[in-house]
Amino acid sequence: MAFELTNHTSKPVTAREKDSSGDSLSPTDTQKDTRFAYIDNQPYEIREGETQLQFIRRNLGQDIVPTLCDAPNLEPFGSCRVCSVDVALQENGAVRTQASCHTPVAPNSYLYPNSDRIQKLRKNIIELVLTDHPLDCLTCEVNNNCELQTVAAKVGVRDVRYPAGKNHLDRKKDLSHPYMTSDMSKCINCSRCVRACDEVQGQFVLSMAGRGFDAHIVKGANQNFFESDCVSCGACAQACPTSAISDVFESKSIANTEKTRTICTYCGVGCNLEVATVNGKVKSIQAPYDAAVNEGHTCLKGRFAFGFYNHPDRLRTPLIRRNGELQPATWDEAYDYIANELTRIKKEHGPDFIAGISSARCTNEENYLMQKFIRAVIGTNNIDSCARVCHSPTALGMQRTFGTGAATNSIIDLKYTDLIMVIGANPTEGHPVTGAKLKQFAMKKPAIVIDPRRTEMARYAKYHLQLRPGTNVALLNMMLYYIIQEGLEDKKFIENRTEGYEEFRQKILALNIDEAEKVTGVNRELVRKAAIAYASAPNAMSFHGLGVTEHTLGTFTVMQIADLAMITGNIGRRGVGVNPLRGQNNVQGAADMGCQPHQGAGYLDVTDPENHKKYEAFYSAKLPDYVGYKIPQMYQAALNDKLKALWLMGEDVVQTDPNTHHVKAALAKLDLIVVQEIFMTETAKLAHVVLPAASFLEKSGTFTNGERRIQRVQQVTEPLEGTKPDGQIMIDIMNRMGYAQKPYHPDWLLAEISQIVPFFAGVKWNELGDNGKQWPVAQDGSDTEILHTDSFKRGKGKFIAAEWRETPEILKNGQEFPYIITTNRELEHYNNGTMTRRTGNVKILTEDVLLLHPDDAARHDIKSGDMVCVISARGKVDIKARVTDEVKPGVMSSTFHFPEIAMNNITSSECDTDALCPEYKVVACTIRKSKGKYKEEQK
Amino acid sequence: MSAETTHSQIAFPQETLAEVNRILGLFPEDNKKSALLRVLHIAQAEFGWLDVPVMDYVARLLHINPVEVYEVATFYSMYDTKPVGKVKLEVCRTGPCMIEGAEKIVKYIEDKLGIKDGETTADGVFTLKTVECLGACGYAPMLQAGEQFHEHLTEEKVDALIEKYRANPRANYMGM
Repeated sequence: MAFELTNHTSKPVTAREKDSSGDSLSPTDTQKDTRFAYIDNQPYEIREGETQLQFIRRNLGQDIVPTLCDAPNLEPFGSCRVCSVDVALQENGAVRTQASCHTPVAPNSYLYPNSDRIQKLRKNIIELVLTDHPLDCLTCEVNNNCELQTVAAKVGVRDVRYPAGKNHLDRKKDLSHPYMTSDMSKCINCSRCVRACDEVQGQFVLSMAGRGFDAHIVKGANQNFFESDCVSCGACAQACPTSAISDVFESKSIANTEKTRTICTYCGVGCNLEVATVNGKVKSIQAPYDAAVNEGHTCLKGRFAFGFYNHPDRLRTPLIRRNGELQPATWDEAYDYIANELTRIKKEHGPDFIAGISSARCTNEENYLMQKFIRAVIGTNNIDSCARVCHSPTALGMQRTFGTGAATNSIIDLKYTDLIMVIGANPTEGHPVTGAKLKQFAMKKPAIVIDPRRTEMARYAKYHLQLRPGTNVALLNMMLYYIIQEGLEDKKFIENRTEGYEEFRQKILALNIDEAEKVTGVNRELVRKAAIAYASAPNAMSFHGLGVTEHTLGTFTVMQIADLAMITGNIGRRGVGVNPLRGQNNVQGAADMGCQPHQGAGYLDVTDPENHKKYEAFYSAKLPDYVGYKIPQMYQAALNDKLKALWLMGEDVVQTDPNTHHVKAALAKLDLIVVQEIFMTETAKLAHVVLPAASFLEKSGTFTNGERRIQRVQQVTEPLEGTKPDGQIMIDIMNRMGYAQKPYHPDWLLAEISQIVPFFAGVKWNELGDNGKQWPVAQDGSDTEILHTDSFKRGKGKFIAAEWRETPEILKNGQEFPYIITTNRELEHYNNGTMTRRTGNVKILTEDVLLLHPDDAARHDIKSGDMVCVISARGKVDIKARVTDEVKPGVMSSTFHFPEIAMNNITSSECDTDALCPEYKVVACTIRKSKGKYKEEQK
Repeated sequence: MSAETTHSQIAFPQETLAEVNRILGLFPEDNKKSALLRVLHIAQAEFGWLDVPVMDYVARLLHINPVEVYEVATFYSMYDTKPVGKVKLEVCRTGPCMIEGAEKIVKYIEDKLGIKDGETTADGVFTLKTVECLGACGYAPMLQAGEQFHEHLTEEKVDALIEKYRANPRANYMGM
């Protein structure tokens, strides 16, 4: 800064005659008052920490000062100088020019944002920029929506006075990537893309190389987008003020003016999206800056992977299996077939021979309808959802300790916390937007990562506890042990808010540390340091994922995480809590709506006589008062001839549930399989009736994200011809079977849900607004950011100790199959991949691969790219190897996004002891180089 | 960064690594980036020039992102991100030298050696590079060769120094 502004100038008090405006104060009031600064000699109150630009824009509007390098979601930078203003120490005094975007507004300073001098300066800056910018606006994709163009028009540039000199107009376009594009001849070196890459995503791909005239944006080491480490989040394209960086959908084109705000269909983060349509077709997607959840950011799935929605493979007509083949049918034929079969099975065997699995991909309203159909129309509690195979242990474990099975805090709390602990989660791949925020956090403040893999988070974490898969309980016991041993418990919190501590403490202190260190493979000193860090941080937040739940002791691990929060008093205020990273877009909602065999809508126990009476009266139907089948029990029942029909709404159990052979054998026993789907999945191929459903872009409803935020999904386009929203299908079949329902609309459905789900009491479709509401929502519509602030849902928090046991998978098969394979996710694909494999994402990541350690690879003479045969007690798969030290020796890792590999052929049927969540994370296996037909694939 | 990162064979010899670690020890645990300039000089001395795998190696040593090395290495003219000859003729191109005829000197060297700014002679002896101020404005125009300044340059002086280095490329290192 050229000079410093001070407020001790001895200027004479100048009387001001024209002071008629109401919000202006007279000079005598404000003269020495440090709360004020002046814009064009009018006083305005300053806010703490405000920049000159924010001060001017807040008081006089957005358009007073033009900017180029400034962006709403980036730190002030001050490189373009277009935002310059004149600043004086006294009224009409001598001025200096300062870049307002990064200069704090000083008390008693006089700002002149549009003096003649400043206007000339801005014009000259833009002229200089234009000497090295192609003037092909008419053919440029961002014509009329270009910030440079807007500013040039605003400052009044018509001709550039400077003669043409050296320039960069011959730079080539980069079209290497399926989504990202760049044309650096249009770059104005504002660094917005670099800062978006650093500050928003934290990928550090883009940078400014060279200096002076040679300064230019590089991707990695002068690579193109495709070769670089770019994760295609699109933050740079959205940040770029011109079309120097853009995307293949031309999302900044003025053609994309018709926009609908909706919620992403992929993960549980729940990003808000702005979907642009042209003539009813989706053209591009951007992330709104005012979205509470994603604040102008989203990932390559949310932003770019929408091409599946009108893909030729979409199912467009109902199919009925005739003579062993799925053949096209009308909706009426399909409904009649289903109604007849269900009626027959119900009559011959009873309602409990029918079961339903709902979908966490569908809306709350659709999930509510599905469980209502199964309970009220069929008359059984055999309803479950895919929460079973992901976070059921979280719900159960947190219900037992806290009373509510949902995230206690919100993602915004990252701004208030001092330490994060990430357990069994790989958020930068699985929950990219929250992952980016966690990564940003870990770069600045301490993070603890507990994960068998050196994930991206682990690389940034201060403490990485790289344990052997299946030993979470032993490791967390070590942490609890050291917290107690060091005397770091929050005694006041324990005393006032919890119960069962003394017994718990005794059990923890009895821990055999030697054994725990040995089984986890994590140095005890490192664990001690991490435990001390967690316990002594003023506010510590924990996050966990499927690496916690998908184990035989998943529920116990969740309870230990709750124990850790309680013992350190990290519950019930900003910046703390236990925060499961819910997997699917609406997995929270599916459970909330009662798609569980033991709890109805709103988590009320179905066996409780009072609840039972309430539900029967509400649905006007006779309901069973005993618990139904969980998903794994459904397969067992089918194999034992106790189940005859299964209805699946958007769930591909054949590809995604573990131990595929077992699942297929169970399905083969059924008389009726109904599948509602958007694509012909592996499960749909086995169905008797397939009903073509509409995607998230073609229907309305609500999704509830991982922080309990109920957000509006708004229909963007008409359902593809021949398809219907899942909710409408549900309603059709209910009507067909004699249970009258109005046509599908979230408005009346939410009104009904709010009467039976206590924490939805004040939820109304028209009042959810752009950013939704976090449940519990009271009758008056007020919502809740933080749970358990004064007391726990269950009264006092309950300490429950857990004892580590080896999983039966290792005990039974560990000798013969000495390696452990653990399953994970890749950023580019989502779950079974039916959607992402039908988008450009498949060009970025084309197959599942097996990660294995160099030592293990050397032992079997395997190189990266070789085909490897992985064998478990259930079966074998052939998969391409990637040799990496991200995993420890003896541990391997892979994904199940591609049906060609079908990784679940080798996973086991072992389950969490309490919640029956399958153990995807520990599979005993052995490896060898592939033989036969797979051997050739390595080329 | 996996162990499989290409060029994993790139590594400082034991002795150099010890020196690098000593330098790293001077900075706080979580801010090794501060040592970047010094470590890059050592890397350049060791490997001749800063190839991408060399820069990636430095990034790993300092626990920073590779691009943070690239941006620094490309910013300073003292770092070579392309192969260079045994003798680097770094001609100052900043204001005072320019006024005193640096452009003419550059042109003369270009013509004499048959190379352009930034290029290396076919025999791999000379690289010509124009650089920012070397702090010898009083002796303009000037160039630096290795560790030596050559000042008040004239065409004759350029002839002589080129002769000298052609005969002995190591002559540009004082006391060596």
